[in-house]
Parts: sequence; C-alpha cells; structure tokens
Amino acid sequence: MTCFERSPLLPRDTIQARFAALIDAVERADSASQLLQATRTLAQTLSDLRQDSPAEPPPVDALACLVRILGFNNPGAAVAAVEGLIACGPDAVAVLLGGLDDRNYGAKAWAVRALAGIGDVRGLAILEQALADDVGPSVRRAAAIGMGTLRVSHLAPEHRQTVRQRSLSALQGASKDSEWVVRYAVAAALEKLCMELQARERICDEALSTLNILADIEREDVPVVRLRARLALNRLLSPRA
Amino acid sequence: MATSRSPIVLVPLTMTGFPESPTPLTAAGDPISEEEALRRLRQDQDHSLQYYAAWWLGKMRSQHPDTIPLLLSALRQRQPREKGAGVEHNAVARNAAQALGKVGDGRAVPELLAALADEDEGLREAAARALGELGTTDAVRPLCERLASGLAGAGACRPNSPKLQEPCEALLEALGEIGEADSMVLDTIVPFLDHERPLIRSAAARALLQLTGEPTWAEPLLALLDHPQLQVRRAALMDLGAVGWRPALDPICRTQAENSLKLIALRGLLEHGIGEPSAETLLEAMDDLL
Repeated sequence: MTCFERSPLLPRDTIQARFAALIDAVERADSASQLLQATRTLAQTLSDLRQDSPAEPPPVDALACLVRILGFNNPGAAVAAVEGLIACGPDAVAVLLGGLDDRNYGAKAWAVRALAGIGDVRGLAILEQALADDVGPSVRRAAAIGMGTLRVSHLAPEHRQTVRQRSLSALQGASKDSEWVVRYAVAAALEKLCMELQARERICDEALSTLNILADIEREDVPVVRLRARLALNRLLSPRA
Repeated sequence: MATSRSPIVLVPLTMTGFPESPTPLTAAGDPISEEEALRRLRQDQDHSLQYYAAWWLGKMRSQHPDTIPLLLSALRQRQPREKGAGVEHNAVARNAAQALGKVGDGRAVPELLAALADEDEGLREAAARALGELGTTDAVRPLCERLASGLAGAGACRPNSPKLQEPCEALLEALGEIGEADSMVLDTIVPFLDHERPLIRSAAARALLQLTGEPTWAEPLLALLDHPQLQVRRAALMDLGAVGWRPALDPICRTQAENSLKLIALRGLLEHGIGEPSAETLLEAMDDLL
C-alpha cells in the first residue's frame, strides 16, 4: 500500500518530498510496531516506484534509511527493509556495501540476505565471507543460495567465468557445512548455477560431483539434503525440453 | 529425525540465540573435539565444563565407547533438591539425560526410566524427551501414569511458578514419539486438548495426530498457526513437522514466523510424511524460503 496516489509522471521534487516524509516517519517511530509500519510503507513505496518508473533511480536517502533499519534489532522491520532493498535491485548495492558494519552482527546478517537476494556480483566477496565464516546458519544459508543466483549475463565472458568459478569453489566448501540447512541450500544453489550454463562445462561437471556426494546416503546423513541433491541431479541430467 | 520443539531448553545459556543456534563454540570461540568433550565430562571440578560437554556429546551424537558410560555417570550425579545445593549437579544430569536420548543407545533405558520418577521436574522432562527419542515402549505406562491425574492434577499450575505440576509437554510428546496407540494412551492424552495453555494443547494434538493419523487432530495445530503469540506459532510449526503432516504445507508457508523454523517444519513433512503434496512440491516450497 502506498500512502500517495501512484503516478509515473510525478515530478522528481514531489517524489523527494514524499520520501522525505516517509523517512521522517521511520526516524520518529517510538515503538516497535510504529517502526514496523513505517518501514513497510517506505519499502513498499520504493518497490512501487521501481515498478511504475523503472528508469527512475531510487532516492539514496531512502535506501540508506532502509540500510540503517537493518541495525535496529527489530526483525519484522528488518524483513520489510530487506524486501524493499531487494526490490530496488542493483541500485541498492552501493548503499548496502557502504553501510556494512562489522561490529553490528545483526545488521550485517540482514545485509548479507539483501545482497544474496539482489544477486549483484559486487556482493560476491561479502557472500563468500559469510558462507565460509558466519556463525548464523540462516546467514550462511542465504549466502549459499545467493551464490547460485548471481546475475552474470551482462558480464564479459571471461569475467563471467571467474565469478562462476568463485561461486562454485565457495559452494564446494560449504557442502561440508555442519548445518543441514546450509548443505540443502548448497544443493539448490548448485542446480541453479548449472542451469545457467549453456552446455556441459567443466564447472558443471564439478558441481555434479558435489551434488553426487550430497545425494549419497554413505556421505550425507540428512534425508532432506539427499532428496534435494537427487532432485537437482534429475533435473540437470534429464534431457532439456 | 525426532523434531523436539524446544531444541534449546537444555543448551548452555551462552548460546541460546534462538532460532539461530550457531555452530557450537567454546567460551574462547573454538569448536571443541570429541576427545576434549570427553575429558571435560570426565573431570568433576568444574560443572559448567561438564554441562557443556554433556550437551556437546548429544548434539554431535557421539559414538565413542566412553560416551555412554560417562553420560550415565553424569546422570547419576544428581542430588536431592535442597535449597542452595545440588543445582549444578542436577543441571549436568539433565543435559546428560537429553544427550543419552540423542546418542540413541538402549543401555541408557533403565536409568532414564528411573529418572522419570525423579523429584527434579527438569530431569523428568529431559528423561521423557530422551525416552521418546529412543522409542522406549516400556516408558509408555510410566508416562501415562504421570499424566493420568489430568488437567486438575498433572496439568495444574504450581503456586508461584510458571511451571505445571508435571512437564506435560515433554510427557505428551514422548507418548507421540513412542507410537503405542492403544486406548489407554489416547484416553490419557485427549483431556489435554482442553488445557488453558496453547503449548500444551499443541503437544496433545501432535501426539494424537502422530498416534492415529486422524485429520481431525490436525485442526487444533493448524488453528495455532494463526495464534497471536509467535512462541505458539513456532510450537505448532515444530509439531506439524514432527508429525510430517503434509496437508499443512500452505498454512505453514503462510504463518508469520522465521523462515528457519518453516524450513525445519517442511523438512519434517518430507522426512516423516507421505502422500500429497508431492516431495517435489515440498522441496520447491523449501527453496522459496532459503
């Protein structure tokens, strides 16, 4: 729901004035539920702007406000902020990377989820680090799936190959994670990574061999992880329609 | 997988980041080895080290030959409860009981059955969960006896305490896990569907659904997915997962709760459930929650 009438033709200063009011509502929220409501409105308005006027860059102030909310220790508001940031896509990446704070674990965990959802290669180093080292399984899980959904089609072929190789290496490492849900996400991500490839490349062969390990009852204890890996193998090995 | 819906009850307090339970770390931040865990449990100077070690061995489902004897001796460390004494020993014993359930060795059964009659309510709770995980049919009668006094007895509130007279949730869950569906068991559980606390109602419905597979017992659980309290919705998620009730897929995806818990519930639907929706549909729903 937006708090103003949608129109792709709004003049820019009107848009800015409206976002200023929404940001102000976030800053002045003095209860968890007010913050949640204000965040939802701001995030939804950004998503609507993106849908209605894809060429219009989202206001940096509004993105920065969503990034600050990630550090407020309000999970509901953080979920809404992450959704708003993901809706803004690559335009949100610079603000997210600029706002990363290693000392605020919660904020960083949410930022990793946003970067994973956006799928921009500028977030790759953060995703690699999170997948290898983060203490929260849900953060490693998000980083893993993000590795499988990085958008590379606009990159030069050489760069594309490098990104895929780094994703593959990170996912291979995480296939030995101690948490089942991370290994599950690795299986899903490997499937997505291979789906992107045109023909059987070396990267795909390596991904298949990791999936074979995750599908093997001798080497993977958790049934649901084996089921997911098996589904990935079936989809990748069956002739494409 | 026995999905305990209170996975953190007996976890050392330093790591109760529910629902994020980070990879086990020592206070210094390093993962410990099995040898180190066994060494910590063997010494008896520092109970907090024993407490952590017992939890660790259970979490890792240690199969070392020393694990069971050491956990049993930790279980025996318990003392009669007196004000100001024995609390730490009993805390170690509770973690040991829980770990014995996870390690999954029948040698622990006689002592766990004895612990079911202990004065320490927390130890009875841990023993009940462990016996449920072990699927001990010999535990069915004593579990039912603990619950037989119903809402006015076992289910009554204790004065000046948030606890009930008996650890009803754990006792009900254990009956469901063990799986003996005779009429004595069902008659014992049914009254708890009317308990004033939603978590007890959820545990009772879960056990009945597990024991009978009757859709009518799924209704209370599905209704609790809309409960205003997050804690109750989480419990209902864990319970539907533990039963593997596949028709709950859509309500599980819709409920307001962390994706981490929905994923655990859907894992349960895949691993314990059968029929529709299909495995592939369930896996796709899980992918959407990553």
